Formats: sequence, C-alpha cells, structure tokens
Amino acid sequence: MSVLRPFRATDMFKFNHINLDLWTETYAINFYLGYFSRWPDMCAVQETPQGRIMGYVIGKAEGSGAERHGHVTALSVAPEYRRLGLSRKFMSWLEQVSDENQRGLFVDLYVRCVNTAAITMYEGFGYSVYRRVKEYYSNLGLGLNPRDEEDGFDMRKPLSRDPMRRSVRANGRDITVSAHEVP
Amino acid sequence: MDRQIRPIYESLDTGSNKSAILACNKVLKKQPNNLLVKALKSLALVRSQKVEEALLLCDEVLASKPVDDPTLTAMMHVLRGLGRHMDMVTMYEDAYKQQPGNEELGTQTFFANVRIGNWKAAQQIATKMHKQFQDDHYLYWSVMSALLQAHDPTTPEALRTVLLKLAHRLISSSATPSYYNADRFHLHLTILRQLGLYDEAYEMVESESGQIVCSSNLSCDELRREIWKLKGLTKEAGEAAEKRILEAKDRNWLEFLAVLDATFADLTSEASDVEAAKVAVSERIVKAREFFGKVVEVDGMKDRSGHLALLELEKRSRQHGLATDSSALHSLLESYFQSFGGKSCCYEDLKPYIEFEGDDLAKWTAVLEKQTASFTSVPDLWRYINAQKLLRYNLSPSALTPEAESQRAAKHADVYLDGLTLGRDLPSYDLQPADDLAILSAQAFVNCWKQTGDESYLYNAAALLEYAGFRSKKSYQIRLHLIRIYRLLGAPALALEHYRSINVKQVQNDTLSHFILSRASTFSLSSVGDLTYTSECLESSRIYLSNSEETAEFIVRAFSGEKYSQLPDFIEFEDRLDNSLQRDLVKMEHVRMRIAHEPINSELVDMELIELKFIFDRVHHDNRDFDILANYQPRGVTSFNQQTEFLEKTPSLGWLWVFLKIYIKAFQLASDLDDSVEDKLLIGDRPKPSYDPETKLPLNERLATRKPEEIAELTPDEASFYDYACALSEWLTPYHDYTRPPPSAVLAEAAKITEQKTGQTLKGLEIASDAASNGHSKKDEEPPVVIDPPALITKYFDDMTQRFKQAQEGKLFPHELLHIVTLTQEAFLLFVIETTRFKTSSVIKVNKLGALAQHIKEIRSKASAVLAEISAALVSYSEKEGTAERRKEVVEACAPITSKTGVRSFHCRDCTTSLTAHAQLDHDFILQVAKRITDARKQITEHVGKGLVRVCKTHA
Repeated sequence: MSVLRPFRATDMFKFNHINLDLWTETYAINFYLGYFSRWPDMCAVQETPQGRIMGYVIGKAEGSGAERHGHVTALSVAPEYRRLGLSRKFMSWLEQVSDENQRGLFVDLYVRCVNTAAITMYEGFGYSVYRRVKEYYSNLGLGLNPRDEEDGFDMRKPLSRDPMRRSVRANGRDITVSAHEVP
Repeated sequence: MDRQIRPIYESLDTGSNKSAILACNKVLKKQPNNLLVKALKSLALVRSQKVEEALLLCDEVLASKPVDDPTLTAMMHVLRGLGRHMDMVTMYEDAYKQQPGNEELGTQTFFANVRIGNWKAAQQIATKMHKQFQDDHYLYWSVMSALLQAHDPTTPEALRTVLLKLAHRLISSSATPSYYNADRFHLHLTILRQLGLYDEAYEMVESESGQIVCSSNLSCDELRREIWKLKGLTKEAGEAAEKRILEAKDRNWLEFLAVLDATFADLTSEASDVEAAKVAVSERIVKAREFFGKVVEVDGMKDRSGHLALLELEKRSRQHGLATDSSALHSLLESYFQSFGGKSCCYEDLKPYIEFEGDDLAKWTAVLEKQTASFTSVPDLWRYINAQKLLRYNLSPSALTPEAESQRAAKHADVYLDGLTLGRDLPSYDLQPADDLAILSAQAFVNCWKQTGDESYLYNAAALLEYAGFRSKKSYQIRLHLIRIYRLLGAPALALEHYRSINVKQVQNDTLSHFILSRASTFSLSSVGDLTYTSECLESSRIYLSNSEETAEFIVRAFSGEKYSQLPDFIEFEDRLDNSLQRDLVKMEHVRMRIAHEPINSELVDMELIELKFIFDRVHHDNRDFDILANYQPRGVTSFNQQTEFLEKTPSLGWLWVFLKIYIKAFQLASDLDDSVEDKLLIGDRPKPSYDPETKLPLNERLATRKPEEIAELTPDEASFYDYACALSEWLTPYHDYTRPPPSAVLAEAAKITEQKTGQTLKGLEIASDAASNGHSKKDEEPPVVIDPPALITKYFDDMTQRFKQAQEGKLFPHELLHIVTLTQEAFLLFVIETTRFKTSSVIKVNKLGALAQHIKEIRSKASAVLAEISAALVSYSEKEGTAERRKEVVEACAPITSKTGVRSFHCRDCTTSLTAHAQLDHDFILQVAKRITDARKQITEHVGKGLVRVCKTHA
C-alpha cells in the first residue's frame, strides 16, 4: 500500500531517513542526475498517503542483443517500512518496464554476499545467483569475513523474452569472477 | 603540432598544472599567437588558482574570436572555472555567427544559454536551428525553452500565456506525433494542461497510443490522472480505479483515493440540491464500504490498502455528517491494530484517525491498554510499542505532570531493557527492535525537563540513549536525539561525535547539517585556534560548489537526451540548492567564527562584504529536514524538535536577514570598496538579479529596515546584540564616510597589487592623476563633529555582565551561558571591525578626529575589562565541571534508569566501543556517560573562557 510515482531530483531533499541506513549509500548528486537524465522511466519512489517517501528504486537498461537487460542499481526501503511488500512492488514494476519499454531479456542486480536478508528476499522474487563478483564493494568495517563483506552476488531473473531461461544458471554461486570483468 | 599539444593535455588530465604551464610556455615561445595553447595555459592557470594571469590570457583568446572546436572547448572550461558564463555565451554566439552552417556550434551555443537559464535566447537559437537543419528535436528544444521561459519567475505574468501559446503552436507543427517518445508526449500534455485545454489533453491520453505510453511511464500516468481530475471526471476516475483494483490487482493508493473521491464527489462539486446529494452519497458510501470490504477479504494481511481505505471512508463520512454507525470507526481501528499492530508503520498509519475526546477516547484507550508488556516475539513487542505511541498521542495535559511523565519514562526504560532480550542474537550492525522504547522514554524525560527546567531529566535521557546507541550502533535516530540533548547540555564535542558517526554525505549536508551547525559559533573554539567547527562549515558547504559546477551539465544532458520531463525538476533542484537557506546560515556562522580567529584586514572585510551582499539579494529556499527527528509527544504538546531547539528559536530567514544586515553594515564601514570599485574588481558573473521587488530598494535603506517578524526569530540576547550593532554603526558612519579614501585611490592601489603579481596593468582602468595620495587627500569639507557614543554601547557590555552572572548562578542552562559569552565576544569583535580604520594615527591626525579616538579607546578598554571578568569566571566554572562531585551529581540524577539489581546482564558480541566495555545500563556505564558530559562541558567552557582573553589581546 503506497503511492508509486517517479523519483525526482527534488526528492534528494527528502530521502534522509532511507539513506542513513547501513546498507544504503548516498552518492554524489551527479550520480542521481545521471540516472534521471538517461533512464527517468526506470527510477521510482513509493510514498505514504501523507507524502513521506518509504523507499526508492534506481534502475537502468544496458547491453544489446542477448545481453539486453534491466539493471537494478539501487533499491532501498526505510527500516520502518520494511516487510510491507514494497520491494516486491518495486521489482515487479521494474521488471515490467524492462520487459515492455526496454525489451530486455532479464533483470539483474548486485548484492553484498553478507546481506542474507536481501538475498533471501530476491530469491523469493524469482532471482538466482548468476555469479559471485570478487571485491565488488568497499568494506563496511563490520569486522565480518572480509571476503563476504566485499564480494557481491550478481543475481538475475529471466523476463518474457527469455522463455528458455538462458540468462540464468543453477550453479551461479560456484562461479567467481573479478570486479573488472563485469560492467 | 599534435606532438607538442598532446603533453599539455596529458598534464591537464592528470592534474599536473605546473608541467602543463611549462609545456605551454615552450610552444608559445615559438608560436606566440597559438590560440589553443593560450587557452590551455589559461586553463592550467585557473586550476592552479592563478586567477589574475589566467584572466589576461583568457581575455586575449576571447578577443580573437576563436571558432575551432579544441580552443572553444578549452575556453569553455576556463570560463566555467572563472564563473564567466555570460562570456561563454558570447564566445559561442560569435563562433556560430562566423560559421552559421556548423550544426555543432549551434548546439553548443544553445547549451551555453541553457547553462545560465537564458531561455529566451535558447528558444530563438533552437527555432533557427530547426529551420536550418530540419531535425525534429530542435523543434522540441524550442518548445521546451519557451515553456521554461514561461515558468521563469522573472518572466512577466502577461508574457507567460503568450509563451505557452507559442509552445503550443510549435509543438502542433511537429511532423511526427508526440507520442512517439514518452518525454515529448509528456511535454505536449504539460503545455495543454497549462493552457487549460483539457479536452484536447484528454483525447490525447485516452487515444490508443496515449494509453500505451501512460501504462508504462509513471510521469505520463501522473499527468493523465491530473487531467482526468481537471476535466471534472472524478466519478469516472473512481470507476476506472475500481476496475484496476479488482482486475489488475493494482494496490497503488492513488487508485483507492480515486474511489474515495468519487464516493464523495456529489458533495464536493457544487450541488444544487444538498439534501438529494447527501442521499446519493450515503448510498455510494455503502457501496464503497462493500467494495473495500471485498478487497480486505481477498488481501487479508497481505496488503494494508483495503483496511486503510475503510478507515479513510469512515473518517470522511464523519466529516460530512454521514456516518451511520458511531462504533464503526472504533471497530475498524481495533481490527487494524490487531492486524497490523506488529508492523512499525502502524502508529503513522493510524495517527490521522485517532483524535478522540471523552467516551470515544476512553474506549480506544481501553483497547490499547490491553496490550501488555509481556511479549515473546518481535511483532508482539511492536504491538506493545505501537500501543504506547498511540496512547501517548492522546494524553491530556493533566496526565502530563512531571511526576507522571517521569514514571512513564522509567517504565519505558524498563520495558526497553526487557525488549533487548528479543534482539539478543542479532548481529551488532542490526537495529534492536526495542529501540523506540528508549526513544519514547527519552522524549518523556525531555518533556519533564521542558516543564521543570530540571537538567537531571536530560541526563537520564542522555544516559539511556547512549546505552541504546551502544546496543543499536547504526541507529541514526538515537544519535540525532543525542545531538539535540548534548547541545542543550552544553557538550558540543559529544554532539559532533555523534553527528560524524551518522556519516552525512553529499546533498545530505544541505538538509542535515543544521543539526550541528545551527548557531555553531556558540560552540566554536576558533578564538583559541581550534578550527573544528570552522572546517565543518567548509566541509558541509562543498556540496554547493558541486551543484554549481555539475548540475547545469545534467540540464544540458537532459536536453540532448530529450528527457524533457526531468528538466523542471533539475532546474528547481539546482535553484533550491544554490539558494539554500542552510547554505547561507552556515556561511554566516563561518563569518562569525572567522573573525574570532583571523586578523581583521581589508582582505577579509572586502571579500566577506561582497559575498554577503550577494546573499542579501537571494531568494532563499529552506531545504532543512526537521521531519527526520521522530516525534512521539502528545498532540497537545510541542514537538520533540521544537522542544529541543536551541533556546526555542530555530534560525530561519528572518534570523539570517538580521545577521546579514549587521555584518554588511559593519564590513561596509570598514571597507574601502564602493560599488564602482567592486564592479571593476569582480571576476566572475554577478548573480542573476533577484525578482524579489524588495531587493530593488537602495542598499542602505534595506540595511536600516528593522522588521518585527525578523526580530521575532532572535533570542532575547541576539535582539540586544542587534540593537547594539545598530547603535554602533549609526554612531560611526559619518566618520567612516569622511575618512574613506576616494574610489580612484582604491583602484590605484588594486592596480598596483595586480601589477606586482602579474607584471601587467589591470585592464580597463583609467586612474585619475589625483589618486596617488594614498587616501589622505585634502578634503573640501570640515570633518564631522565628534559626538558622544550612544549610551547603549557601553550599557550593552554592562547588561551582558549581568546576564552572565545570572547564568552562573544556575538560573540558565549551559547552552545559554555559552550563548551569552560568545555574543559578548562578538560585540567586541564587531567593535574592532568598525574601528580598525581609526587605529592608524595618521588617519586620526589628518582628519582631525582626536576626540573620536579617545571615545574608541574608552569603549575598548571597557569591553576588554568585561571580557576579562567573564573569562576568569568561566575558567573557574569549568574547573568545577571537571570534578568528581559534579560527576556524582550527574550519576545520582540518573537513578530512575539505573538498574539496581544487575539482573539484566547480556552478553555482548563486541564490546570495543569507545564508551564502555560494559554491557549493562548500570552505575559504571552511567558514570562513564557522566564523565564524558562533564569533561566536554569543562573543555568548552575553559577554552571559550581563554579565548576571550586571547581575542582582547589580539585587538588591544
């Protein structure tokens, strides 16, 4: 339950309660403006009936041919609005846009290997690990196993243009690549 | 040639400006007229801060009107670095005129205008390009430019419709229909909506292609909804929404709102027969209830939409006097609470529906009170927390006595500690589910403090929150609470520590730095050379530089990628950040800190004068985020944010205006610059003239205007500081005006300095021959008669001594004590700024102002004596803060939250925090908090005290 609407430049004045979360990065303004000036139809927020932002998603379309796909660059929901199905809604919306507007074959995203809650959630949405990317992230300083803290999983879900599920594989967790091998 | 140029580019790319300059010189030796190399050298000079030399080369290149792409590109960077965007426009316009067939030059000329928001010229260029190059996107550029010109606040009202009509005519002439591209479609709809052509717009969105665009583009869909509404299709929108909810399972709240609006549409549109309308609406209410009921049945607990829609329906029915069942709202609330009480958003969801009184309230309270603190799961705990928040919201004033509130606070603290058991196994970086109980407790304690003024409540809040922050290390909410409380307790070092832990970045500096930088000069130790706060001001202001350097480029990119829907927001974003209130509040604090630290010379005075005058012409936007601070205070009480404001006054536009007036006036007196000089010495563009009519009045008139609404934002001590500042400047103005050297002399001096630096004369200056007399030229008129200084000036220092004594006797809060002291110091510094000119004995002698010098000397020694006295008292105050007794007092004050038995002992996963190795909220933990608070207070008072003496010594 929420209002789904476009993510606008001026929302940057109102997203503090989402971004002060451990897992969410606040980027330089040119990061957000870069997305809005290229893929405005792939960035959205959900807000409460009172107009408070609950979470947002930032996505893009990349690749061509069999590699054409939607990519989730950032998805974040404020702690107080978790477990309300917001992420599911964001993801299904982005999948629809990737499918219909961008003619993508799949949607993919990166997630820290230590962020088990998020990994389980995405698996519930039909995503699976395609590969493990070494040292994709900076260290969070949590003192966990540095490999897990810095490595990321590349997770994918096929769309309607990939009925044979060629864009995913079952043994993705066993396949490791280094960060410079991925776009 | 390429062989010679490449190393220059390489050096520039790697940031080695020095070697770039050397490489340029090498080429220029052989080819002194190579424009590209001159431009590149200018760029390297700009980047190495050698502005004067860069300017010379830059002007040379511009004068020869370059047309080749590399030179133009290099010059674009030079001019951007110098802030000369107007010159960039001229440069491209000249180049395009020389090569009118060059499409790339046309595009660059368009972009140059876009960067500075010159929509009129942009529109004309785009139109011309469309005619010449016949590409559709130029047409859309011109349409968008016309629309943006219509939106620009400087555009006269009458012209706006003309521009919109022009945009409409242009877009209708397009060879391809706008729905080929979602952003063109969006632009087209926007123009139709603004012209009120709703029928045409409706036809477009409801056409087959229009529907396809709207179904997969949120921006267009937003406009579609608006157009339906504007066309008065509320009922139809409701029907369509019902369909979407049922068939497409859409749970967008906007659809539910559409159904609700449709239900009451007969009453809100002007009905001729009100009674008949009421009957019709009543029937619709029944239907809507059934409809939402069905949704609830289908969704169960999976989605809140249906449940909330039922609540909203009941609320609106009540508002219209059409509620039939008085218990309906209650049973809905109860069932909502049962279903979603375990979610943290429940409190926020229900808040709009629970403003009850009397019996209604009693019934609702009974429901909530059933929720006991015996929880065994996290959702249980949340249900309890929500019940507590909801109960608190409706507490009546009689239930809020300090006794009742402190009992409540202690109870929350107790349950909080119990609640920690549920989160025992969470990793250290996770938030504890019980956190909000600690926050509820802290807010109740703060409410007690607000009523009684008894600081011990704040100690309780601080100690409990410190403990909660230790258990929930990543909770920004707990830290924000602590920041507020530590500022009130006069322990700014601790506040800063927590602020830094939140890790505020990028644009958040604009929205959140108020937590730490609001009135930060009160806590600054710049007087003793500690620049922590000074640099915090500079750090937090870097975002404004990135905004002015980068955002315009994205406006250009949105144009070149034809993402028209983004442009109004990009432009608003840039403007709101550029003219941010917080930006200039921080700037003002920075000035106040600077003068306590740096020598007061013409460099400081002139630069700040120019900057503050620019700020004085701005139309500000307040982007500060205060909503982020949770508020669980009862509805009859001021919010937690207001309660913890520094002296109950948050500086805002009025405050800024007063301090700008004070400092512009002071710097104006001290400076030798007048407007004509300033114009000649200014390097970058002047800011765009403001559209606020008030800025058109003469500056001196504006500076002298005192407005009650501005003064209302000041604390009483700031208000008397303002009075003092006005009296001081009024008294000294005639003597400054008489002694200030003539503009020609000032310019001659500036030219001399430039010549020393660059070996070249300052361009465009014609120096009058009588200017060489170093400002001591003979004057025709007699010097003004020296009058006695207004009594207010010396009285101010006496009054502040009194205020300080009050504060010391414990009648005031620690932050108020510092406020009084730093303002007294500031008054002295203001006096220094405004009297430095008269320190030179030759100035006094030539102008026959001996009597004035005597007055100044007397006031200075009076002020110094006062500062010395306060300093001594403050230093001895600080010694008391550092004692074991003081710590003991704080620890004893925290009895309400100290666990007595030590039963609750948790094993903590990592105990490496700086605060403590203890995992319990026990005596030892609280002792450490007490030590930190008293130490921080000792440190600040001691150093501020010592700073007073140092400032006096510097300016003796």
